Amino acid sequence: MADRYLRRHLHLGWWTLLAAVALGLGLALLRLFDVEAYQHPAHETRRLMWTLAHVHGAVLGLLHILFGVSLTLAPPLAPPSLRLPSRALTAAGLLMPVGFFLGGVSIYAGDPGLGIIGVPVGAVCLLVAVVATARAR
Amino acid sequence: MSAKRRPRPSARPPELASPSRWPLAVLLAASLGLGFAAFTNFDPSTSEDQVTGRPIARPDNGYVSSDTCQSCHPGEYASWHGSFHRTMTQVASETSVRADFAGVEVTNTHGRPMRLERVGEEFWAEFDDPGWEGPDTDRPRIRRQVVLVTGSHHQNIYWYATEHERGLNVLPSVYLIKEARWASRSAVVLHPPNQSLAMLDGHWNAICIACHTTQGKTAFSTPFRSEAFRDQAIDTTVTEFGIACESCHGPAEEHIQAHRNPVQRYRQWLTDAPDPTIVQPTRLDPQRSSQVCGQCHSVWEFYDLEGERLANEHGLPYRPGDELRDTRFVAQPSVDRSSDAIRTLVTTDPEFLRGSFWPDGSIRVSGREYNGLLDSPCFRDASTPERTLSCFSCHAMHKPDNDPRSVVNWADTHQMATGMESNEACLQCHEPIRANEQAHTRHAAGSSGSSCYNCHMPYTSYGLLQTVRSHTISSPSVTESVRLSRPNACNLCHLDQTLGWTAEQLEAWYDISSPPLSEDQRSVAASLVWLLEGDAGLRAITAQAMGWTPAQAVSGTSWMVPHLGEALGDDYDAVRFIAARALRSIPEAPSLTYDFDGPREARVAAAISFLRAWRDTLARTARRAPELLIDADGELRLDVMRRLAARGDRRPLFLRE
Repeated sequence: MADRYLRRHLHLGWWTLLAAVALGLGLALLRLFDVEAYQHPAHETRRLMWTLAHVHGAVLGLLHILFGVSLTLAPPLAPPSLRLPSRALTAAGLLMPVGFFLGGVSIYAGDPGLGIIGVPVGAVCLLVAVVATARAR
Repeated sequence: MSAKRRPRPSARPPELASPSRWPLAVLLAASLGLGFAAFTNFDPSTSEDQVTGRPIARPDNGYVSSDTCQSCHPGEYASWHGSFHRTMTQVASETSVRADFAGVEVTNTHGRPMRLERVGEEFWAEFDDPGWEGPDTDRPRIRRQVVLVTGSHHQNIYWYATEHERGLNVLPSVYLIKEARWASRSAVVLHPPNQSLAMLDGHWNAICIACHTTQGKTAFSTPFRSEAFRDQAIDTTVTEFGIACESCHGPAEEHIQAHRNPVQRYRQWLTDAPDPTIVQPTRLDPQRSSQVCGQCHSVWEFYDLEGERLANEHGLPYRPGDELRDTRFVAQPSVDRSSDAIRTLVTTDPEFLRGSFWPDGSIRVSGREYNGLLDSPCFRDASTPERTLSCFSCHAMHKPDNDPRSVVNWADTHQMATGMESNEACLQCHEPIRANEQAHTRHAAGSSGSSCYNCHMPYTSYGLLQTVRSHTISSPSVTESVRLSRPNACNLCHLDQTLGWTAEQLEAWYDISSPPLSEDQRSVAASLVWLLEGDAGLRAITAQAMGWTPAQAVSGTSWMVPHLGEALGDDYDAVRFIAARALRSIPEAPSLTYDFDGPREARVAAAISFLRAWRDTLARTARRAPELLIDADGELRLDVMRRLAARGDRRPLFLRE
């Protein structure tokens, strides 16, 4: 059972990391070619949101991997107590980077687009994941 | 396991003490890093509240300053930041001071040379004391710190601390940015020669502050010039130096408070409803929106001394969205010439009208475009708000995101709205003309003569050593040229043609009957009549037109050279400056070594030398025609020139640009 969680989180971690790296490369290209939709001073919020999406994607990808690796440490965590942190971490790993990214797609001057709503929800999920993992036996 | 992890104190070997140095080393490294970061980011500038000797920026009365606006409106902030509105007034600094102050001596000045000096980050000047009232030979030197700068586009005007409270005065020389040279203060203003230009202590605090800052308060203890300057207390403050967000949007404190709530912000974004907490000038009706610009771009005065006193204490009471005339008198002599207010102004300043307006009361100086708009039929006679011309019909105070121009280019082209540099500006209302523009313009499509602007907004307003387009939308009129001595658009391009020729064209094309014309008006090119007969303002406009590329292409240039050469001897510095600039734009003209602001003898010698060079070279091939006052032998028709000059308008003229 723990093995299934291990594989799932390693899998999710590396794919999330891949997406974050690809996004980072995309952002670098947008800057390199001075793309107006990204570089214009009016799009400062977009730059911030997409940078945050990149960073959160990378960090959460690493967190997935760390979570998976944690399962291999002794004593192994009991599978029943893994369900909640696993699900919460999976939700956070999706909601936070995607929320930041969507928040930068359509912006309202200094405010991000409505996709940003995903971020606080994801943040709560991440908190739940960390607390539940800390309490797991 | 646990026994191994927890060694007995007595068993601790001495070397175990060494790891405890690591935290210390890390702490030390972190401290050094922080110290280095603090050092490299240290800003030695003093906070505004600690500044003495000049006005300070201290927002109050509901104003918050543009820094506060930036976080939520980065795009608008960026385009404003690139505009010349922002840099209208700046604290003297490495970036705002464009002239070299490092040990420079400036001879283009009043009296003895001005010596400039850099002392660290400070700018200092030593010059003749302008306030000295004794014999000129005893005039003392003073050394003062330059603290503020006006202008960043055409000129840098430097203000020095008078060393009396926050009072300022102006340096006796101005730096011309494009020409990268100094000129004496009186030379850059079109004003009568041999009349000194007032340079009064406290001038900036009392006068300039109104339109060159955001919500400035003069804060003199008694009215300006009511008693000796040094006896007055002066605590001048502004919300912001330069024209900033709140000049046009009004004080933003309430807006900031209301929009701290994200729900409120998103409600505003998603509904696009008007925001009652801030003024959006483009949502106002055309009258009120144009008044936002008109608060500065107009000729205005206080209604009474009480109004002036209140503004001195609290700042100007006008807020964007208000009716401008509720709190100030906007002079519009085209309709209110006989009003009590105008009469009062003329009583105290007999040259008030002539210094700013053409004889029909329309504005003739730059920077007062709202006056021009008031007299424009597109504004004055419009039937509905949708079809009423406003400043925002053609100009945009923030460069739209989809505008391909750079911010620099947009700012440098009068902040024109996207696409409004073309005929589209007029066609948005005058749609029927679009189908066949050529039938209306009588000029080839795409030519300078087919530009709405060139015919209906000619360069007949003057300011800052150049002409700008008249903002009184009008049609070319020979009658006005004859009656008002105001150039018409046709002859500002067809410089080589007479008024008679223009009258015939207008009659043939538009059925406009010709006014009675004198023999000279029928036989001498209009531009030469204006250059010889006109007042200094008209001469400046004509000389500028001779340097205008479209006019040069239409009229040719070889015949202009001797006439512009003659203008190098004009009494007015500004006319000489513009004539020299026009000459330098003519490739075939002889090279010109001439300082319009130099000693008279040197100027005359340079002008004579130039005219001789013309006679020896270009005169042989120059276009010859009687109306151009060059006879068949290539000689100037001096008799006609002298006759026209003899009856020229030589009344002293001071244009209040």
